[in-house]
Amino acid sequence: MKRAHAKTEAMNLAPIALFAALMIAATLLIIAPAHAQSSDPVIAQARAAGQIGEQTDGYVGVVAGQSVSAEVRAHVDQLNIRRRAAYTSAAAEHNVSVSDFAAAVACQSFERIAVGERYRTEAGQWLQRTTSAPVQMPSFCGNH
Amino acid sequence: MRPHLAMLTGLAAVAATSACIPVQIQAPDKPIEINLNVTIHQEVVVRLEQDAQQFLQQHQDLY
Repeated sequence: MKRAHAKTEAMNLAPIALFAALMIAATLLIIAPAHAQSSDPVIAQARAAGQIGEQTDGYVGVVAGQSVSAEVRAHVDQLNIRRRAAYTSAAAEHNVSVSDFAAAVACQSFERIAVGERYRTEAGQWLQRTTSAPVQMPSFCGNH
Repeated sequence: MRPHLAMLTGLAAVAATSACIPVQIQAPDKPIEINLNVTIHQEVVVRLEQDAQQFLQQHQDLY
């Protein structure tokens, strides 16, 4: 009797579980970016225009001497706040400092800098990636 | 004895109410300042290579 009751309960829960699984799958499909680029068009455009670029500290910066709109600046600030939050939780997970984790990610993002984009070296200099010269990697990245 | 008890009950009620005031947490509205003069530990960074790669894949929208 007890067993039959338990079975009925499990059967009642099955559609709910299925529905939940479908919802999660749908959410993941919506969130998943189609391209390995920033989903923010303001950021993508400013980056392509060489107004902003990656820094060795794992954040985005406005290229020195570039006059950017308040909108771009606000988007850069927002992006960096989101990055900071993501670095902070990942760093705690791996038991390392936030700046070390951010630097490790910078090593990866520097590998992805496209031709024409600007980036800030460890010394603080803004350079543009060209077809001829490779990206000047931060010293702490190690060689591969 | 009775008023004493009532007073204690009253105090307890006040304490309970004050403890229930919600604490409001606000998101920062100021841009964060990034200090470039931090010491990066190379051995840590190198060790984190795989994790950083994974992180980047999981947070593609931020790059």
